[in-house]
Amino acid sequence: MSRNVVIVDGLRTPFAKAGTDLKTIHPAVLGQKALSELIAKTNLDTELVDEVIIGNTGSPSDSVNIGRVVALRSGVPLKTSAYTVHRNCASALESVTSGYEKIKSGTMDVVLVGGTESMSQLPLLFSAKFQDIFGEFAFAKTLGKRLGALKKLKLAHLKPRISVVEGLTDPFAGINMGQTAEILAKEFGITREQQDTFAARSHNLAVEAQKKGAFKEEITPMFVPPKFKKVIHQDIGPRDGQSVEKLAKLKPYFDRKYGSITVGNACPLTDGAAMLLLMEEEKAKSLGYQPLARIKGYAFAGLEPERMGLGPVYSTPIALKRAGLELKDMDLIELNEAFAAQVLACNKAFASDEFCQSKLGLSKAMGEVDMDKLNVNGGAIALGHPVGATGTRLVLTVAKALKAQKKKYGLATLCIGGGQGGAMVVENMNV
Amino acid sequence: MSTINALKIIDKGDYALVEFDLKGEKVNKLSGPVMEQLRQVTDELKKSNYKAVVLKSKKNKIFIAGADIEEIQGIKDKTECKDLLISAHNIFNAWEDLPMPTIAAIDGACLGGGCEWALAFDYRIATLDKSTRIGLPEVKLGIFPGFGGCIRLPRMIGIQAALDIILAGKSVVAKKAAKLGLVDEAVPKEILDQRVELFIKDITMGKKSKRQKKFKPRGKMAAVLESFLGRGVVFSQAKKMVLKQSKGFYPAPLKALDVVKKAFGQSRAKAQEIEMNAFCEVAVTDVSKNLINVFYLLEAVKKKTGVSSDIKPKKISHLGVLGAGVMGGGIAQLAADKNFPVRMKDISNEALAIGYKQASDIWSKKLKRRRITKHDYQKKMSLIGSGLDYSGFKKMDVVIEAVVEDMKIKKLVIADTVKNCKDDAIIATNTSSLSVTEMSEAHPKPENFVGMHFFNPVHMMPLVEVIRGAKTSDEATATIFDLSKKMGKTPVVVKDGPGFLVNRLLLPWMSEALFLLEDGMSIKTLDRFFTHKFGMPMGPCRLLDEVGLDTSIKVLKIFQNSLGERIQVSALADKIKSTDRLGKKNSKGFYKYDERGKDIEADESMYKDLGISSSRSDSLSQEECIERGIYQMINEAARALIEDKIVETAGELDLAMIMGTGFPPFRGGLLRYADQVGIKKIVESLDGYHKKLGIRFEPSQALRDMAANDKTFY
Repeated sequence: MSRNVVIVDGLRTPFAKAGTDLKTIHPAVLGQKALSELIAKTNLDTELVDEVIIGNTGSPSDSVNIGRVVALRSGVPLKTSAYTVHRNCASALESVTSGYEKIKSGTMDVVLVGGTESMSQLPLLFSAKFQDIFGEFAFAKTLGKRLGALKKLKLAHLKPRISVVEGLTDPFAGINMGQTAEILAKEFGITREQQDTFAARSHNLAVEAQKKGAFKEEITPMFVPPKFKKVIHQDIGPRDGQSVEKLAKLKPYFDRKYGSITVGNACPLTDGAAMLLLMEEEKAKSLGYQPLARIKGYAFAGLEPERMGLGPVYSTPIALKRAGLELKDMDLIELNEAFAAQVLACNKAFASDEFCQSKLGLSKAMGEVDMDKLNVNGGAIALGHPVGATGTRLVLTVAKALKAQKKKYGLATLCIGGGQGGAMVVENMNV
Repeated sequence: MSTINALKIIDKGDYALVEFDLKGEKVNKLSGPVMEQLRQVTDELKKSNYKAVVLKSKKNKIFIAGADIEEIQGIKDKTECKDLLISAHNIFNAWEDLPMPTIAAIDGACLGGGCEWALAFDYRIATLDKSTRIGLPEVKLGIFPGFGGCIRLPRMIGIQAALDIILAGKSVVAKKAAKLGLVDEAVPKEILDQRVELFIKDITMGKKSKRQKKFKPRGKMAAVLESFLGRGVVFSQAKKMVLKQSKGFYPAPLKALDVVKKAFGQSRAKAQEIEMNAFCEVAVTDVSKNLINVFYLLEAVKKKTGVSSDIKPKKISHLGVLGAGVMGGGIAQLAADKNFPVRMKDISNEALAIGYKQASDIWSKKLKRRRITKHDYQKKMSLIGSGLDYSGFKKMDVVIEAVVEDMKIKKLVIADTVKNCKDDAIIATNTSSLSVTEMSEAHPKPENFVGMHFFNPVHMMPLVEVIRGAKTSDEATATIFDLSKKMGKTPVVVKDGPGFLVNRLLLPWMSEALFLLEDGMSIKTLDRFFTHKFGMPMGPCRLLDEVGLDTSIKVLKIFQNSLGERIQVSALADKIKSTDRLGKKNSKGFYKYDERGKDIEADESMYKDLGISSSRSDSLSQEECIERGIYQMINEAARALIEDKIVETAGELDLAMIMGTGFPPFRGGLLRYADQVGIKKIVESLDGYHKKLGIRFEPSQALRDMAANDKTFY
């Protein structure tokens, strides 16, 4: 008998732009909060958990296997294995697919998956030259040698390497993520105005969703230490009354002269965590759970790093094929909004016979993406994109939205820095 | 004296291993018979050809727990005391004078007399095991080290460090002991034997020999303070500290200080003579007897289960707390501190945030003082979850209710909680004034409902009243009793009734303060009588502020309704109610408070608000003030214990008062104090006050009967 993998339930922290409300909170704490609240919400007997898999890209130096830290602090037993996965922007989709595979294969029955990221806490690094001098100083045995080492130090050596900038630069193509979006904007002829319109749409939909409480089911509040004066219970990003006019005032960030990508039509650096409880379907039922959704299939696929934004277009057809479905079967789509230009380029590519034939080897275009189905509660431009947590957030959000709207199939897909795409197809179990 | 076989000499070739294993006891202690055997063992070793002697304990986690407290308790007069000490000194001196080097291999508690014996060795090696603590806790029992500890310790680790241990009754872990020079090495438990073997090798090869370890001050400052001139400064500072901390109620630390001062630098015989004489003075005091009795009461709780049947407490792995306010948040903090995963539920995120803040503040303070690490902090914080719904409550074994003190609301909350928990979950209420029996009506299985009354602030106050409602089961009682202990508290089982035990006894005293103010006493003098003359940690006015003036008056009125006319309330209560004075919580009460909540001084403007003259006569005597307060408590205690059977024994009542109100331990407890004053005298006084001041002083029938039959509480 074939085994089905279901999402019993999920929960996430609110997402907050880096450097704002959640900046003081360590990513392990963000992850722990989301995970322990999920465990409570599902009244899960943690003795049953076979494994914990957590996505994270920042690898905080004080919690290098952050998955294990999150698991233990959340009350998962000592005996239970836990690890961290890294697939850049899709780290928290990788955790879901890893859990899926282990359950599907019959190796495991109950897996906790998710991701956590504090982009606020990505460190500044010392330059290589400074490290050399510091090493010489630290190991010097005499005062003279110490002073000698210090004498070599120049002000320029103190200039830090900013790890978040380095992390967002593709080491293969040698360009920044924003620049990859600039390439797509130009190649696909996506105008500044189109991008700003899409960005404003993201904000307006997100604000509307917040007002009608669409995220209530998926967010657990964060209590902000050490004063605990603030309780963050919804995403900080969405701006009420965001408009094309306001966005038009921003200057291009990555290509100041000919570019169209601004900080307003790109997603912000973000802090947040998201978690899912995965189980084998029969196991879930035997424990009395009414699961949220069934995972129908997934795929990761690669492409040119400098066009990484098109990743969803490469991964989606494979995921759909594995699920035995087509793009038109999808009732709701969560396509991560790294950049407005990148989302709009994907839409064009989905609908293009030529692109689908030449690049993907399909017989014809996958089809138009119906804007009424796409990111119906807004996306990362408004909500934010904590890289190590977004993959799980997309799956969670689409599953919750399917349930709320009583729709059947949903697609969660995203582009991945380094030139990959990830996609997952889920089926609502509450219709 | 009966011969026992606690010490065994094992021939190890070059050296003798002495094993200490007191049969039939969990711990090793230096009782009379053990000391007699030690004398024989020492004699035998003296005549032997061993090159070294090693002492080890066969007990788990105990090296030597100390002298036999029962024997100390039994000392009636100074001559008997001195005989005992002379014999002990002779034995330790003989041990110290053994011809071969001696090594104490310390694993586990090495306290009191045990530590003093260890000081008479040439070498000490201690393990880094958590159970290994070395120190001299004698002052906690109203005595001080009397087996040479006041002499050998200062010589070994210096006067400052020695006073630090002796005067505060401290014990230190092996690492600290090594730093102080109290032990020669602090080693992992697993390699203790290896290290001992190495020491013996050194001895047999002549690298180590007999010695008398002497303190060498490190650094100039230490050298000055340990010098003849500097010592004066150290002693006078220590004296100031002791007086401040003991308020002069505890003679032992002062005496110990005196002994260290006089004996330092004297010959062994002379020094021991000084120590013995002083020790015999304190050993026979009531303070010491009382403190030892309190120690017994505490020890007894460790063995108790809270029920008379042999029902076992249920295993508790998850806790729920309803309400994240001062009490709920405090309980959640304490639970997490003791490693219980706990969830708070309240009606708003803001309310939950207050609970988190309270917990975080307590641990942040510990973090700052390096009592915990940042990792501990994070681990503890992550044990506290929270929600606005009953998420996670299906896993709860015990849910503690700490919502507002309102019977209706509490009943609704309890009924609601039951529906969201598993069938056999125990629900406990933290009420301080409402009937547990009545509240249990909201629970479909009232046998699973019980009271668990913590005192504020939860992390500081050691008492928990475990309240049995009319239908509470033994299992629920035993489980909450056990949980209280696991949370580091001292539980006392009480029956349901107005104010349960502690508040019922405390309130008449607090209430009497208002009458005493009416009669011309000033806040300052009145509180001082009770703190500095009687030994209460807070005077009644300060305590009224602490509890909250509104709350205190509300509870008083409840008492009046349920206990009848003998609860009289001063007219000043209504005057207070008409002001905005709430006590410490709004920094406005009998005292003024700074922004951190510390009392600055009595608020003179209070008198005007009370409608009484602000020039206070302070004409009542200290004796009358104390009698009017304390005798009322004793009178109420007799009713609670004998007539209403709220608590089973006088011992538990005394323990509850000491742990719950800080009733001065040196008095042994409220009823122990009553016995010492004399029941007859108390009844006579009460009769007098009854005639003069009102029905609140009328002696209870129970007290009258006791006086008539010459009975005592103990």
